[in-house]
Amino acid sequence: MISTILLLGTVCSTVTGRIGRVAGTLRRQVLWPIGRTLERLLAPIDRVLDPVADGYNRSLGPYFGEMSGLQFGVIAVSVAGLLTAGTWAPMVGPLLGGGLLRTLALASIWAIFAMSWDIQSGYTGYISFGHSALSGAAGYTTALLIVHVDPTLSIWVTGSVSVLAALVVGLLIALPTLRLEGPYFSLITFVAVLLFYRLTTAFSLLGGIPGFGQPDVFTWDPMVRYYYMAIPMLLIALALTFMARSNLGMILIAIRENEPAVSAAGLNPTKFKLWSFVLSSVPMGIGGVLLVGFTGNVDPSTFVVVDNSIEMIAIAVIGGMSSILGPLGGAFLFEVLNHQVLHGYSTPVRYLFLWLIVLFVLVFARDGLFRAIWHRLGAVRGESE
Amino acid sequence: MSVLEVDNLTKTFGGLVAVDDFSLEVDEGEIVGLIGPNGSGKSTVFNCIMGLYDVTDGEIRFNGEDITSDSTHQIVTKGLSRVSQESNPIDLYSVSENIRLFTLPNSIRSLHGGASDEEIREYAARIDIEDKLHEMPSELPHADVRRLEIAKSLATEPELMLLDEPFAGMNQAEIGALAAQIERFREDGMTMVVVDHNMGGLMELVDRVVVLNNGDFLAAGTPAEIADNDAVQEAYLAGEGL
Repeated sequence: MISTILLLGTVCSTVTGRIGRVAGTLRRQVLWPIGRTLERLLAPIDRVLDPVADGYNRSLGPYFGEMSGLQFGVIAVSVAGLLTAGTWAPMVGPLLGGGLLRTLALASIWAIFAMSWDIQSGYTGYISFGHSALSGAAGYTTALLIVHVDPTLSIWVTGSVSVLAALVVGLLIALPTLRLEGPYFSLITFVAVLLFYRLTTAFSLLGGIPGFGQPDVFTWDPMVRYYYMAIPMLLIALALTFMARSNLGMILIAIRENEPAVSAAGLNPTKFKLWSFVLSSVPMGIGGVLLVGFTGNVDPSTFVVVDNSIEMIAIAVIGGMSSILGPLGGAFLFEVLNHQVLHGYSTPVRYLFLWLIVLFVLVFARDGLFRAIWHRLGAVRGESE
Repeated sequence: MSVLEVDNLTKTFGGLVAVDDFSLEVDEGEIVGLIGPNGSGKSTVFNCIMGLYDVTDGEIRFNGEDITSDSTHQIVTKGLSRVSQESNPIDLYSVSENIRLFTLPNSIRSLHGGASDEEIREYAARIDIEDKLHEMPSELPHADVRRLEIAKSLATEPELMLLDEPFAGMNQAEIGALAAQIERFREDGMTMVVVDHNMGGLMELVDRVVVLNNGDFLAAGTPAEIADNDAVQEAYLAGEGL
């Protein structure tokens, strides 16, 4: 028995050692030269864009974070790309299997979820495994209002009440749990979503497995639908970035790194954690309302299942936790891979591949792909000159 | 007038009595040394004052106000600050940002308040690390990390500062420099309680010494009186013997 364990141990250590060497060689002989070439190519662009970025840094930098020329350029191109996707996506889409506008609309919703999760869990380090309970609360509130109250209610009424419902559920989870330390908070959020899931399937009042088909989609026009999802997403990204780059973001990160130090600074950690939950629940609710308008159906597997909560975390991890914009990028990468690049494979195969990517990022790029790219963009001239 | 009054403080952990009916008064502008062998309950007293531990019995007053059941952040806001024995800067933040965190208002609405760069420089200058503001804590030598802890504490604008083993891990020159800086704080009107298990470092700095042993009050007096006190010497010898 012991010799088997020893043998296994030796094999494991040899294999991991070899993987480490291969990764090292790969980094030295492939990635670094590519990186250096890219830097040489990008440095002039960085220099050209510097004056524009300087203007931004002087006016808006203190509120949304300072950027180098290249970083500013990438953000500007990305925002322009998202705003004009209605015109270019139908042309590019067929190359990627079609339906690109649908994927981008879905990615916008998941970006909202991942950014909302990030401002609470990524920043404070209190990892929630139950965020789909919040979007679920919003989705089910919309459905219940339409089914049981008045099918003609305007979206402004059902939407507002639904966002409020997400906030109430968020506070119900947060108030008793945020004083807890270690794994208890995570476990309770996990149990909350399991409870919610069982609740929706246990009582026919909540629609059971098939859920509610009565809510209408916002529109059947793919282009209009995309903008219905993308514009709120960009506004939420703007608002959360503003919050995250303020004192609040600084305090939330300090809570994650060293909560006693926050108390010693005369700051009440519980108050700030609670506020992060509010800042997270409200956009989660908005995302939930948008998801109703996207699918036209409110059921446990679209809204509540714990897989959804884990997917939000995966997206945030891929993009880079505690950066808001990282999870935004992560959502588009995740959804484009899932529905475009891998569209020929069955759902289990696609998810197998996606979870392997998450694992890869966790092992080799723990700070997230987009954060790594962002820092490289910020340093192109620092390292090439 | 007494700034800090600790009355009949008792703290037990399960069956273990860590602090037993201990009282302490600190007057405005003085430096009190709180000494005792390792494990005598000095840090427990500080933890009780700062609201980190629930007090089993007794009362703690700051400027006449009962703070026994306040939480740490409320106590800090009232003007009491503690420099803990362990350095715990936030490694992701520069020295300057670490200090700035301690100046932020306790309000979710204050998104861009806090000290200006100039004010942060002043806090750092009071403990001579103003030329290290842009460095990361992990790049600093031990003595500077300890100074950063004091700068953070200063940034909360305390009336009374509790210093827990401020000289630990420092060499003779660094101890001398830090003692001079602490002396300067007193000249600026700061009241201080300094904990040390070692009597040597404190004797020239403090006005008055209180000795704790096994969680119990043992002796109090001027540094000279304490140095000659037989009971104190015996406690230290017993402690060394363990």
